[in-house]
Order: sequence, then C-alpha cells, then structure tokens
Amino acid sequence: MGSVLALSGAGRQNWPFSSETPPPQWDTPPAYWDTPPRWERRDGRLPNPGSFHALHRSCKDVFPQQIEGVKMTVNKTLSSFFKASHTLHLSAVSPSQYRFHVEHRHVDSHGKDSDSPVLIGEMDSSGSLNAHSLLHLSERVRAKAVFQTQQAQFVTWQFEAEYRGSDFTAAVTMANPDILRESVILVAHVLQSVCSGLVLGGELVYHRGRHDEGGILTLAGQYTGPNWVATLNAGKGGAHASYYHRANKQIQVGVEFEASTRTQETTASFGYQMELPEANMVFRGMLNSRCIIGGVLEKRLSPLPATLLMGAFVNHRGDKLQVGLGVSVG
Amino acid sequence: MGSVLAATPPPPTPSPGGGGVLGGTGLLSVPPGFSMPPVSPVPPPTSPGQAAGESASPPSNPGTYEECHRKCKEVFPMQMEGVRLVVNKGLSNHFQVSHTITLSSMADSGYRFGATYVGTQQTGPAESFPVLVGDMDNSGSLNAQVIHQLTRTVRSKIAIQTQHHKFVNWQCDMEYRGGNFTSAVTLGNPDILIGSGIIVAHYLQSISPALALGGELVYHRRPGEEGAVTSLIGRYTGSNYVATLTLGGAGAHASYYHRANDQLQLGVEFEGSTQTRETAVSFGYQLDLAKANLLFKGSVDSNLVMGAVLEKKLQPLPLSLALGAFLNQKKNTFQCGFNVTVG
Repeated sequence: MGSVLALSGAGRQNWPFSSETPPPQWDTPPAYWDTPPRWERRDGRLPNPGSFHALHRSCKDVFPQQIEGVKMTVNKTLSSFFKASHTLHLSAVSPSQYRFHVEHRHVDSHGKDSDSPVLIGEMDSSGSLNAHSLLHLSERVRAKAVFQTQQAQFVTWQFEAEYRGSDFTAAVTMANPDILRESVILVAHVLQSVCSGLVLGGELVYHRGRHDEGGILTLAGQYTGPNWVATLNAGKGGAHASYYHRANKQIQVGVEFEASTRTQETTASFGYQMELPEANMVFRGMLNSRCIIGGVLEKRLSPLPATLLMGAFVNHRGDKLQVGLGVSVG
Repeated sequence: MGSVLAATPPPPTPSPGGGGVLGGTGLLSVPPGFSMPPVSPVPPPTSPGQAAGESASPPSNPGTYEECHRKCKEVFPMQMEGVRLVVNKGLSNHFQVSHTITLSSMADSGYRFGATYVGTQQTGPAESFPVLVGDMDNSGSLNAQVIHQLTRTVRSKIAIQTQHHKFVNWQCDMEYRGGNFTSAVTLGNPDILIGSGIIVAHYLQSISPALALGGELVYHRRPGEEGAVTSLIGRYTGSNYVATLTLGGAGAHASYYHRANDQLQLGVEFEGSTQTRETAVSFGYQLDLAKANLLFKGSVDSNLVMGAVLEKKLQPLPLSLALGAFLNQKKNTFQCGFNVTVG
C-alpha cells in the first residue's frame, strides 16, 4: 500500500484485512481487458488515471495470498446494499479467531460507483476493529476515513480527500493526527495522464513528530500497453517496479521488484495466475528471491455455492512450511 | 497394547489404513497384518470367519492376533501435517514402485522411494507370495520386509528397519495357521553379542464361530535384566459388530466396532496403560460415500483432540486428494495438511 503505513510505527500491519485490501472498485477504473484498452476513450480525451494506491494493483492481484490453517467463511447477502460475512479461522501459528465482516455498498450491475456511501466494518473475536468509509461528496470529490484498532488501542486513523479530474487525480491524506503528541503524517498524491498509455505522478510524504520532521518525495510512472502494464515508483525511500502481462485469456504473469533504503533490502518476485473457467478453477503461483515459493488453488464446487481454497507456502531458506485450507460458502 | 514390538513394523510411509486412498489396482495385494503403503491391503478371502462371523459351521481360523483391534483402528483418521505427494506406478503385475515427496514443518521433509515385488506362488485369489517390500529415504533410512508362505499353513516374515546407517529394528517371525487357531512366534532385535532380544508368542483360538480367545507372552532380555508381560485377548464378532478386549500386565485395551450401514462405520476405543498411568477414550466414525467418491473420517478423544480427514477421488484423473486437520483443545494446537496421490 502507500507509504503512509510504511512510515508510521504500525508498518506492516499484523493482521490482514479479510483476504483482500479494500476492494478494487474504489480505486481503479474498471479495467475490462476484453473491450478496448482503458486508456482509449471515444472522444479522444485522456481518461482518469485512477488512484495512486492502485498503480501496482494489477500486478499484485496475480500473486497468491498467504493462507494458513483452516478458514471457513460464510457470506450472506442480505439486500442489494448489505452484505455480511462470518469467518472462522483455526490456525497453527496464531490464536484462532472469529471475524465478523459487514459491508454497506450498492453494487450496480455496471460496477459504477453510485452516490451512496460505502461503509465496511470488520470486528474480530479479540475486539480488534477495522472500519472503512467512503463518501462521495460530489461527482469528483471523494472522502475516505479509515480506523483500525488492535483490541482496545487505536492503531490507525486516517482521513483522505481525493479529487478526480478529467485526466488527473489529486489526493491528500492525513494519517494518525495526534494533537497531544503533536505528530501527524501528511501524504499528497498527484497522478496525471500525460498521453494515451502514460501516466506520471508523484507522492510527497511529510511526517512530523515531537522531535523530528521529514519529507520524502517519490515519483511514479505507469505505461500501459495493449496487454501489459509497467509501473515504476522511485524515490528516496526506495524503488518499486512492477510489470504485468496478460498472455491470453487464461494466463496472467506479474514480475515485481522492491527495494527499500530503510531496511536496505531488495526483493524480486515472479507470480502467475492461471484461470480455467471450464473447470471453475484459478491457480496462483509465486516465486521469490527470498526463496519463498507458494501456490494457492481456488476451486468453485459447482452445484454447491461453495469455494475451496488450498494453498501452501514454503520458505526454503528458513525451512518453514505453511499449509492452508479454506472453504467459502455463499 | 499387545506386543512390545508389533509384528508389523511401523509402515515406512504411513498411509491411511483401510486403503481408502489407493486406487486399488487389484494387481497386487498384501495380506493384512503386513501393512505396506504402496499396496492396497485386501482382506484374504481364503480365511473366513475373520470379523464377519457369518459362518454357522464349526469355527474356522480366527485370523492373527494383531488384527483383533484393527477393524476399529481403521475407522479413525490419521494425523496429517504438511504437504505430501505420492506417485504410484505399477510396472508390471508383480512389481510396483512409489515415489513420495513430503514437505513438512514439524517432521523432516524429504523424498522416499518404495518398491514392492509380489511373487508368483499364488495361495489364493488375492494373495501371492513371496512379497518383498522396500522403502528408502533420502537420508538413507531403509525399511524392508520379506513375507513368504513356507508351507500351506506356515507363513514367515523378516523385517528390517534402519535409521540413517544404524539398524533400529530387525525381526523375524513365523506364523502357523491351524484349522481353528493361529499361533505365531516373533523374535525381535536378537543380539547374540550383547545377549539381548525380545521374543513374542501369540496364540488365538476360535471357541465358537463368533468368539475367539487368545493370549500373548512378551519376554525381553537385556544384559542385567529380563522380564515378561502377558496379555489375554477376547474377541466377539456379531452380525455387524466386533468387540475386542485385551487385558494384561501392560494395561487394558477395549475396542468396539460397529457397521451401521453400507456408508457409516463407528468405532469406540478405550485404552489404559499401567506404565504411563493414563487412560483415553476415543470415538471415531467413517462415512463412505462411494457415489461421490468421498471418504470422511472423524474422531473425538477424551484428551480433547478432534480430528477429521476427507479423502476424495478426483475422477476421471487417477488422482486422490486427502485433506486433514487435527485440533487439540487442551494444548491449543492445530495441525492441517493435505496429500495428493497419483496412481
């Protein structure tokens, strides 16, 4: 995700938000690869480039999510706005938990954003809360608020305002503002469609504590081809490059390179996704420069409204294995 | 319970009992009592009166001593951990080979190669002798068994097990099957130089078509000490149930197996040991949905251990998938794993 969390103490959050980050509908314009590429519009004008967080998303979606232990999810759609889901997770490495997830979101058949606010909340059996809300203040302005608690303590409270112009996006985020401790993290994003296929932008992160303050500037660029996307983020905090390629209707490939000056580490990953819609199956595999190999198989058990997930991750260097099974009903 | 050294050494690649996973090519079969992974164990049809108890005729051979509790034990699921891939390949009617790759975080990951040879001397429709089974690990540990039918009534077995380069188990046994009784003598780890070894003698007699009684005597000797443990066993076979009780110096073991219908089998087991001074009660069930190619085994323990294993044959591929999970409420641990068997 954005560097907001990378700077704050929370860093890589200890528990993932369901199994996906905030649903792609918020952040990306619908990318339908079967219809004309998204960077072409009928009237010849440049399209909106989407949000900054979504730059690397198409590559990240190819990689399998780490699963561990046994997870049982029951999804229930209560109305066209309201969806609830219960998740029971039995795990070997972390304590087992029950999670309740609720969404208030109007899902249109076209997938377009409607005017109703989007509210997503998730509560853990240990009392940890994760809440997202997205409001459309006007046709072009959106406001977002995110709250995360770890049991009784607030870990993240973040507010964002985003303006979507015709061919640019600008966003300002304020994360963990604390008047008592006089600390705050401010992030400004700008993304501009320069020409068809090319998007350039930047991110400025300013953090201020009682005793220190600093800023980091990162430049971003994304070039979209007919069936591929290449993205690069480079700045003082590190570099992140990703390449996504759609070979055919079934195979998608992603390559990612991350380097961080803070931790002085680099990682290169290769991932692929294979879809077999006739077999109702999706397989995602990945290979890492940290000698981590993982694969996750998702199969829809056709007459039943259930999905079976099986995955394993092997860390050859540390000699560790994680096996996970999941059943999703509804 | 029973013998200190079971006459069947721990199977080299533990496979779920009952052969539910294996495709059962029907080419090779090993008589039960000699559980070997790559070959599906088929109960010998030539020795009736074994647990079915349908015969109203004079009591026939009661089977072997080790098998008395087996029917109940086969109902229970096996603990699975990590990922395992098994590839079985039948090279001919007599020869079968298996490759196993195990990835596990608790036990050792490795590769294992196993080979089974079944000879040409056929004693029954599903049995052939001699049977040679070998299994080698990527660290050099070997498991080997040779089973041979010496005469019509005498069967012999030699089993050897090594851990890396050291010999851990070496035993030889001889079994005599009479008209209505079975007796067996096993010599385990005999070491003439040190003067140590274990001798186990089994005897099982059919009193009536349903009732079988028997006993076991284990004598072990080490330089400086020697001892013996005796146990008595009784087994009653009903129309769709088997109840077995073993009582002896080492403790008690009672098991009850019930076949409710074609799909459901239940087992209840009680074990008490005088050595560890502990008792445990387990309840297990097996649900067999042949139409869905599904086999489900579940178990609950008095130690608050719950486990389940689901096995499914993925037709039309010769592939079998097993998913298993075990949860220990008392210790708050959880284990899950899956196996894929090809061929």
